[in-house]
Amino acid sequence: MKKIAIGGGQGFWGDSPDAAIYMIRNADIQYLGCDYLAELTLSIMAKQQLKDPKKGYAPDFVTRLLKEAGKEAWEKGIRITTNAGGMNVKGCVEAVKEQAEAQGMKGYKIGYVTGDDIKDKIPQLLKDGWTFPNFDYDGDFHDIADKIYNCNAYIGHEGIEEAIAQGADVVITGRAADSALFLAPLAYEFGWADDDWDNLARGIMAGHLLECGGQGAGGNYMYDWRSVPRMEDLGFPIAELTENTFEITKAPDCGGIICEQSCKEQFMYEVLDPANYLTPDVNVDISKATISQVGDNRVRIENIRGKERPDTIKLCVGYHKGWKTVSMLSFAWPDAYEKARYCADIIMKKMKKRGMKADDVHISFIGLNSLHLNVANMGEEALKNLNECVMRIAVFSEDKNECARIIPEISPMQLNGPPGASFFGGRAHVQEVMALWPTVVPRDVLEIQTHILKV
Amino acid sequence: MEVFLNDIAHGRSGDKGDTSNICVFARRPEYYRLIEREVTPEKLHEFFGNMVKGEIVRYDLPSLNGFNFVLRHALGGGATMSLRLDSLGKSMGSAIMRLKIQVNDGEIRKEDIKTEK
Repeated sequence: MKKIAIGGGQGFWGDSPDAAIYMIRNADIQYLGCDYLAELTLSIMAKQQLKDPKKGYAPDFVTRLLKEAGKEAWEKGIRITTNAGGMNVKGCVEAVKEQAEAQGMKGYKIGYVTGDDIKDKIPQLLKDGWTFPNFDYDGDFHDIADKIYNCNAYIGHEGIEEAIAQGADVVITGRAADSALFLAPLAYEFGWADDDWDNLARGIMAGHLLECGGQGAGGNYMYDWRSVPRMEDLGFPIAELTENTFEITKAPDCGGIICEQSCKEQFMYEVLDPANYLTPDVNVDISKATISQVGDNRVRIENIRGKERPDTIKLCVGYHKGWKTVSMLSFAWPDAYEKARYCADIIMKKMKKRGMKADDVHISFIGLNSLHLNVANMGEEALKNLNECVMRIAVFSEDKNECARIIPEISPMQLNGPPGASFFGGRAHVQEVMALWPTVVPRDVLEIQTHILKV
Repeated sequence: MEVFLNDIAHGRSGDKGDTSNICVFARRPEYYRLIEREVTPEKLHEFFGNMVKGEIVRYDLPSLNGFNFVLRHALGGGATMSLRLDSLGKSMGSAIMRLKIQVNDGEIRKEDIKTEK
């Protein structure tokens, strides 16, 4: 029976390429999918591209992964799908071409998919009466229309599948849905129709378990993190599918763990309603799914169902919201928390006197409550005898100058505040705050195109 | 008797904008009913207080011995906007494990009670 194995090579832009390179060298896989994009990544890339038109994609895909193991993958017939193209798919394609030429990979076929970037279509859509409803908050899209950095649709698997069908050795996209990178090769190999909902749903969940890399193989593993073997050599997950079965495993002789619990934690990661997990390709129902151990580092996933895909496509809209600055000061025993708390009070009193108009201020204490906030243990026992405590004040303002006003007030606290304050990390900077406008567009707005470039 | 959820469950949190999802799985199949009884949206509202400003929905997943909690307006504005140190809510998964739950004698195996008060 035909079996296809696909590896998950990357969990985000900035992830380590080690596991992907290891898989190319040591695992029996036919495909490798590499996801580089999180919700905010495209806005960061769009900003980079504004400063330098050659930027706007994930260069590490080319300068680290392909440089080190691209040729070996090609020679072994391992085809790679990736959304490393980000905001600048053509720039990424150009860099891949240069890399392939430098390594003498004559005949290397680079596929790429365009059409996810629909920023230019916004004015017409607004004119046609599309309101871009915000699913998180009230608000009028017109108010942000002139502050938008990027507007990309989460595209599905079809364009990628088309490139694979045309013989692409690597397929580069912009904002393809993470899981579409993995569904595309499976749909191609098994000949799944675009309305074969149950199979498409299986392919999507294979992608879902792979798209976060190490998180699907024992990374960020709450169940029993101490038991994960050799995290320094953490392998990333591999999905093996036949027409009837769907299993997750990992490369031979690497670290990490594939078990029922590790897969469960990733299975529901960033899922909202499990009976209606919406993707551009299919509405997935995992509310009755089962996960069972069937071998050493091998689990089987069953009872995934699919329903007709939605008529609308999720959009990733990033826009300028304002500015923020984060300042910190550390304090030591005795009374570390009490001093840190007092120092924060002094600074805020000074800012009030100066009439700082911050839209939001967030004060927390690193080592105590900056992660668990309200539910952290702030009981007397926990506070007493702390070795050290770091005061953290974060300020947001739509006005850059207002935001900056707190910065010069921090370091003087070493001499003018409670004893033992230690300033570190240099003066704080004002950072731009970009926000997301979660919305959808009608599917028929998209014009997805597949291209092939031969080296 | 009172124990931490951490003793009977494990999970992971993720983010979509300002929405946090926390999946929670029973460490033993027999603990599923206990979590079902004890970890309700109402209790979580009380537990998280104004950290979570929106609705909390629980989806039950008996075939996986688990639950998926979806918490709206839970991340101080979300990844991009949040002033929190953990703007993506990566530690929401461990925060929920601090929830104290009431159990009767014999409902939990003694060797599973590990978390220090």
